Amino acid sequence: MEGFVDRLSEELDCQTVFTIPIFSGINVSESVVVTWIIIFVLGLLCIAFVRNLKVENPGKKQVVIETMVSTIYNMIKSNVGEHGKAFIPYLMTIFIYLIFANLIGLFGFKPPTKDLNVTAALAIMSIVVIEFASIHKKGMLGRIKAFAQPTPLIAPLNILEILIRPLSLCMRLFGNILGGFVVMELLKIVIPIFIPVPFSFYFEIFDGFMQAYIFVFLTSIFIGEAVE
Amino acid sequence: MLVAIGAGIAAFTGIGAGIGIGIATGKATDAVARQPEAEPKISKLLILGLALAEGTAIFGFVIALLIIMFLK
Repeated sequence: MEGFVDRLSEELDCQTVFTIPIFSGINVSESVVVTWIIIFVLGLLCIAFVRNLKVENPGKKQVVIETMVSTIYNMIKSNVGEHGKAFIPYLMTIFIYLIFANLIGLFGFKPPTKDLNVTAALAIMSIVVIEFASIHKKGMLGRIKAFAQPTPLIAPLNILEILIRPLSLCMRLFGNILGGFVVMELLKIVIPIFIPVPFSFYFEIFDGFMQAYIFVFLTSIFIGEAVE
Repeated sequence: MLVAIGAGIAAFTGIGAGIGIGIATGKATDAVARQPEAEPKISKLLILGLALAEGTAIFGFVIALLIIMFLK
């Protein structure tokens, strides 16, 4: 039992892979390295898919890619509304990155979203985008007036929400991916051969997709509400 | 030992999520029974509500994990 707990807690912590020897050594943890791998793979896919695009007789590959992109675009557009259209490319990028990041556990790497730092960074980016959208549309004064929006009585709640929204986004993504990772690791310790496969369909694939979609959906709802 | 009790109590947040998700699914099936052609929209809303309600249960799990890891 002891080896069990030790092995599990070593999986849960994030190890530093190498150290950049500038200043006093910047530790590069494995979530950063896996993110580099995802960036590399996505870059290769992008370059591979945009060769020979035609307007007149599109090949099958182009039609599939265009369908996928326009589905995601319409999905996000219905939440962000007309005024938030400028933020849709950012949201689509986050969506694709999160799908890859959550599912990369299937290929033997550790999902970078298992690390609290990665989800916290994504949540901070989301809140910066939301606040920027709001201030850009309404101006600084309008943003402050928006705190009193439905009734001035819930102004403290509105102020707190600037803190609570990214916190809940971060914790939801982190908790779900970490929970799936822990369950899969426990299953692999107990029965390594065939049993993890059907469980991994729920815990890794379904959960990964859902959490990516939820993160982007909630951010787009907040942006839509901020620029409305 | 108190660490274990604390972590166990933190896991109680699952009760709220379970009840909430159960009620939501019941209402969703009522809605689909009333109007079967609205089924895609209803199931989309249901899955969304499920993931959000699950979030609160996950918060409890994260707290339990943090208690175990940081309160040796």
